[in-house]
Amino acid sequence: MGEIRKLKSSRGGDPPRESTPRRLAAIVAGDIAGYSRLMQIDEEGTHLRVKRIERDLIEPSIVGHHGRLVKTTGDGFIAIFDSPVEAVRCGIVIQQNMVGRNASMPKHHWIEYRIGVNLGDVIIEADDVFGDGVNIATRLEGIADPGQVYISGGIYEQIKHKLVCGYESLGDRKVKNITDPVRVYRVLPDPAAFNRTRKRRENILIALLSLFLLVIASGVLWYVFWQPHGTVGGQASAPVSPETPKVVSPPPPTVKQAAPQTQPAPSVAPAAKQPSPQPQFAAPAAPATPSTSAVREPVMYMLRGGSFAMGSNDDPTEKPPHQVTIKPFAISQYPVTVREWNECAAAKACSFVASGNAEAPVTNVSWSDAKQFVAWLAGATRKAYRLPSEAEWEYAARGGTQTKYWWGDQFLSGMANCKNCTDIAAAEQPIKVGSFRPNPFGLYDMGGSVDQWVEDCWHKNYQGAPSDGSPWVEGDCVSHVIRSGSWRNDARYARPANRDSYDTNVRYQTHGMRVALSP
Amino acid sequence: MKITRLIVLSVALATVSCAAHAQGKPAAKDAVLYFVWPQDGTVIKGGFWCRFGLRNMGVTHAGDDFQNSGHHHLLIDVNEPLDPNEPIPQDKSHLHFGAGQTEARIELPPGKHTLQLVLGDAKHYPFNPPLVSDKIAIRIK
Repeated sequence: MGEIRKLKSSRGGDPPRESTPRRLAAIVAGDIAGYSRLMQIDEEGTHLRVKRIERDLIEPSIVGHHGRLVKTTGDGFIAIFDSPVEAVRCGIVIQQNMVGRNASMPKHHWIEYRIGVNLGDVIIEADDVFGDGVNIATRLEGIADPGQVYISGGIYEQIKHKLVCGYESLGDRKVKNITDPVRVYRVLPDPAAFNRTRKRRENILIALLSLFLLVIASGVLWYVFWQPHGTVGGQASAPVSPETPKVVSPPPPTVKQAAPQTQPAPSVAPAAKQPSPQPQFAAPAAPATPSTSAVREPVMYMLRGGSFAMGSNDDPTEKPPHQVTIKPFAISQYPVTVREWNECAAAKACSFVASGNAEAPVTNVSWSDAKQFVAWLAGATRKAYRLPSEAEWEYAARGGTQTKYWWGDQFLSGMANCKNCTDIAAAEQPIKVGSFRPNPFGLYDMGGSVDQWVEDCWHKNYQGAPSDGSPWVEGDCVSHVIRSGSWRNDARYARPANRDSYDTNVRYQTHGMRVALSP
Repeated sequence: MKITRLIVLSVALATVSCAAHAQGKPAAKDAVLYFVWPQDGTVIKGGFWCRFGLRNMGVTHAGDDFQNSGHHHLLIDVNEPLDPNEPIPQDKSHLHFGAGQTEARIELPPGKHTLQLVLGDAKHYPFNPPLVSDKIAIRIK
């Protein structure tokens, strides 16, 4: 043992000649499942992604867990650790991270690692490591399912009481070119998943048990109430009145199609030369929607289009201010409300179900959720509903003005629903739509209230932005643009030029949306 | 006889089903949140890749309610204390990494800045007690 300890210092690279530097180590072997398939789909892209994953995830994770990356191959890596616990943790961190990284990609582009961990006595050289301990690790990796960490019995014995994970025994496996079978365990980083499988087993047992009890109980009841009936007579007939089938008619579904939006038509805005808004009220019924029920359409305002200076010098993300020409389009007067959203959820077209005040803007929706909503609305109404482009949003928010806020360069309290902008105390939800003054185009809550998703991918500034008002969708689209700021952001965020980004598939409680419509 | 057995069994069943769920969101006891890079006092020219380290817990997608896991939030020049009963704010000084990122390209104006990591749960709430990194100070040239 003492000798092995002494050799620990050999990583600097004493000449391997004199004493072969053997040492006990936890070996982690990983490789990408289906690497050649991925290379076939997109050679350069895959190569770049793999290199990036190695640089940004694999290497830092190994270093972070006090390990050493011995070598990387085209699609894999081998690392050694002093501690089996750290080795397995590192494997789990890598796998969990990959889940996150893959989430925004279509399934056939997923990069999934298979990871094997083994404890063994190995020979270490400067840039490689040898011994059947390494071979077993690579064999474990070979039999692992994509996204999984498989460990050997040796590792399991070391970590079973130290690492809060589920472990599933896969029994003894014979692996290629290794004489003795190897005991294999699958690591379940999410103990809940393990509990779930166990709980399911428990549930079945419980169900059987209760069934059994029920049978006994009914037997007893039958014995107590029916048997004496014959002998004692007359008395016990009441309790066993045969279950009359209870016909509970469900209350008729409340039909809430009621009057289409009864807000007073906004006193048509002061706007001098700018388009006069023509409210387009909800069409009576969409001609042939599959689900016969008429969808309540948002109140849309037609904007005439024109040219404006987008951006500002107030923040690096808003630079440079640039001229953009907008084609005519319609935009909703309010952010989409909880009530409107839940019609989509009820139609099973939106996976997110909103809660809270029905007239408040919907919140906690991701960009992908917002896309589901517009797709549903467009399908149900047969109109070209969509998300606005970022340029359209800013054009609509400015309402023909070029000042910092649509009402001027100074912030005025009580003009927008933002943090410390009103007397209203911060709450879980923004207050109901249309509670503040509309802008010169007659639009409400363009600034403050809820962050609003637009179609564009996030770009850190306007270098290279389109000037025709179309959404800017090229680039690495893992995050999209949010506009307006929310009731939890301060007044600076309520400026029409303000822009920010958020991960495409992630929900957050201040994010909502409004819809646009191509004429 | 049968009735007492029945009662005993039903009590047993009730306790089993109650034990199934544990509420509250404590972080792993030995979890450590830290900056892989930069370190405290680093002087940097221009933009940089900020790398987040997490030991003894896993990084996952926001919305995924796995045990012992969370996602990173980077606080830039934030001095107000964190409210453990509110979701971590989202603005230009509270950056969210809900897709499970463990690093980010950060560009800051020249001068002194502080950075701090906070781990958030599936709904962007801090853990209880909050799992945060040391607050580090860096300087951008």
